[in-house]
Amino acid sequence: MRFSTLRLALTGTIACGSIVLASGCDNSIHPTEILPPLEATSLDAGAGNWRMIALSGPSQFVVAPPASVTSAPYVTELSAIKAAQGQLSPAQRQAIAYWSGGGVLRWNQIMRALVARYNLPPAPAVNGTYPVPDAENPFGDPAFPFANPAYAARAYSYVSAAQADALKSAWYWKFQYNRPSPAKVDNEVSALMPVSDLPAYPSEDAVLSGVAADMLKVLFPAAVEEITLRAAEQRNAALWSGKAAASDIVAGLALGKSVAAVFIARASTDGLRTAGGSPTLWQSLADAAVARGEIPWISQESPARPPMLPNFGLVRGWMLTPAEFVAERPLPPPSTGSAQMVAEVAEVRRVVDNLTRDQLAIALKWNDGAGTYTPPGHWNDIAAEYVRDARMSEVRTARAFALLNMAMHDAAVGCWETKFFYFNPRPSQLDPRIKTPIGLPNFPSYSSGHSTFSAAAVTVLSYLFPSATATLAAMRDEAAISRLYGGIHYRSDIEGGKSHGTAIGGYTVRFAQQDLANE
Amino acid sequence: MRLSSKRASLQALGGFLAAALATSPVLAQAPDDGVLMSRKTLNVGAVYGHESWSEYWEGTLKRTNDNIGTLTTQSVSLVGHYGVTDRLTLVGMLPYVWTRASQGTLHGLRGVQDLSVAAKYQVLTTPFTGAGTLSAIIVGAAGVPASDYTPDFLPLSIGLGSRRASARMTLRFQSHGDWFLDGTAARTWRNQVKLDRVAYYTDGELYLTDRVAMPALFDWKVSTGFRKKRFYVPLSIVQQRTLGGGDIRRQDMPFVSNRMNYTRAEGMVMYGLSVPTDLALQLGASRTLSGRNVGEATMITFGAFHTFRF
Repeated sequence: MRFSTLRLALTGTIACGSIVLASGCDNSIHPTEILPPLEATSLDAGAGNWRMIALSGPSQFVVAPPASVTSAPYVTELSAIKAAQGQLSPAQRQAIAYWSGGGVLRWNQIMRALVARYNLPPAPAVNGTYPVPDAENPFGDPAFPFANPAYAARAYSYVSAAQADALKSAWYWKFQYNRPSPAKVDNEVSALMPVSDLPAYPSEDAVLSGVAADMLKVLFPAAVEEITLRAAEQRNAALWSGKAAASDIVAGLALGKSVAAVFIARASTDGLRTAGGSPTLWQSLADAAVARGEIPWISQESPARPPMLPNFGLVRGWMLTPAEFVAERPLPPPSTGSAQMVAEVAEVRRVVDNLTRDQLAIALKWNDGAGTYTPPGHWNDIAAEYVRDARMSEVRTARAFALLNMAMHDAAVGCWETKFFYFNPRPSQLDPRIKTPIGLPNFPSYSSGHSTFSAAAVTVLSYLFPSATATLAAMRDEAAISRLYGGIHYRSDIEGGKSHGTAIGGYTVRFAQQDLANE
Repeated sequence: MRLSSKRASLQALGGFLAAALATSPVLAQAPDDGVLMSRKTLNVGAVYGHESWSEYWEGTLKRTNDNIGTLTTQSVSLVGHYGVTDRLTLVGMLPYVWTRASQGTLHGLRGVQDLSVAAKYQVLTTPFTGAGTLSAIIVGAAGVPASDYTPDFLPLSIGLGSRRASARMTLRFQSHGDWFLDGTAARTWRNQVKLDRVAYYTDGELYLTDRVAMPALFDWKVSTGFRKKRFYVPLSIVQQRTLGGGDIRRQDMPFVSNRMNYTRAEGMVMYGLSVPTDLALQLGASRTLSGRNVGEATMITFGAFHTFRF
């Protein structure tokens, strides 16, 4: 009797556990997207002639002619590859598999992780002030940078644009010299990742490692060790896989670093350093709003936090001139004293206090707040799947991300210019009874950054992937309305942001239509 | 932080529910105490819990946050125990939880949290040292979210949203006099949690997925106290260790899979009324003494239970 009862109890317990764990016995989580080995549908042999973004032309940096495939130095390089391939460790094979997914896509993932890591606002000091992240002390508290959406948009754009120009230049020299990959030259060299007829000199993997690492080390200096190791691993993977010889890699690395220097120089004078403004500036923005008869934005954080990068609207754009940014600025929001604003505030309150679970899910899905890869990162995440499925060459992949991210950088500049021109309060400032089911951003309301980013991104992605236009438009609209569900934006912020972002994205599309990539 | 607080509150609740005069008409108990129901008796009750904290551990750094102020979690739980035999008791609990931050703009959440069930089986009871009786109880327990609440808005979320199962062993020494000593420990396995977003960053890595692996838990508790006439008074030290997970980063929000650890002191008074019989009232309190990625919570509970015999 006693034992039968025990058995009953145990059986019950085990069954219960089984029910709980039923669908979850496989508890493994795959941290990154699965990227199949990249076999591009086209070599894009003409990419050396595509229009540059910041370089003067594809031969601005000259790559010296390579040794012939029959020369003694090159044969020695082939022997080194064969020797390495004869004793590959599991870790080395794993590195080859990882980088075979595509260098541009991998660096995009790495960059998103860096943004998420550094996207944390400084904690307040004991005296209620906020320390400013210091590029000269990136390991401190606060860490440098605070990779907020504006900083992140700029960072994604610089790395992507530099990669695109570097690879266009690499393609130019590849088809000048036409030296094949080691695996194509010597059939004793195995092709351990897809090796095409793309000329190997200079190595596109080495170009990417050089340009991406040098850019990222400036943008995320505290991550120097990880960035450096990743870049070296990419070059090694190219070598071990039979895709590139040592001299292909040396030439590619030098080219990548040279191109990075051009973009780093541009970044050093693009206005970011003064984007934080000063207490005098912050006060003048509030005074200007009062002078227009409006209620000025105030920080609702405690202690009050200075607004996020109030001068980011003056940062240099990729496609728009400063005058064009002003010309594209949305018309004013409803006056804070108007009946329309009263109605819009009431709508926000009604929404958040009657939020459905589906609306909350949408608010959380697109929140992309502190500690995440930001809205521009989310659109890179979305784009990565389209790019992967399209099996683009590395240079065409780099072009796609450059177009996307230049448009989102310009969206950030235009949106911040708008926000700090109007300095409009958030819904929860006008009605403190409004509580938000997501974090409240610490900058003015009009217009919505998410809406602007998403509209700019979708304008570019719809150009690149026209068959996805309807799907992308639905995502844009969901991302935009998520901010109303989150209680942090009025409907007019969202509508204004979408129109603005679409207009800004159009500048990049017009660039893309003339960059010769579709000849 | 609140996260933990949420979990903490559930467990505290369980602890308080525990109680009761083993031999008296009324008896309430929890999965982690040494008390069993008599055969064919059903005990049902409701417990109100009020937990709050204004300081929390951001990783190991203890701090306040003026954008939260004091975080309060309240709950009303329905609790039931049934003695299948004198050795086997089934326990069930279902809380309704609501949260609020006293400062800042964050919106509180509310809803039905997790349904918890447990089976407690006494595998051994024997005279020990001539001074009392030693008994051993094994417990299998499981929990499952009873509504589609989000675990992704900590510290305002009402729970962690994970299905879980645990295995527990409890030893009780009951003296021939009034006092007792309990020791219990359990390991809890937790299922993946699904978020409403497709990427998150935790523990030094970006995860491009909506699935979050939840580290297992280990907890132990030592209780002592007395039961005399209609009083049952246990005092306990509880410790939970999360076997993995990342810390809350500097100035970041908490995350569902954080390493939530705490040490807590608990106390309770349970009193069985003489009129009407079969009704018991309990008052409990607990305080978090130390922690990691949890709030420094103070909790009080008040409950009432009724026993039915068949």
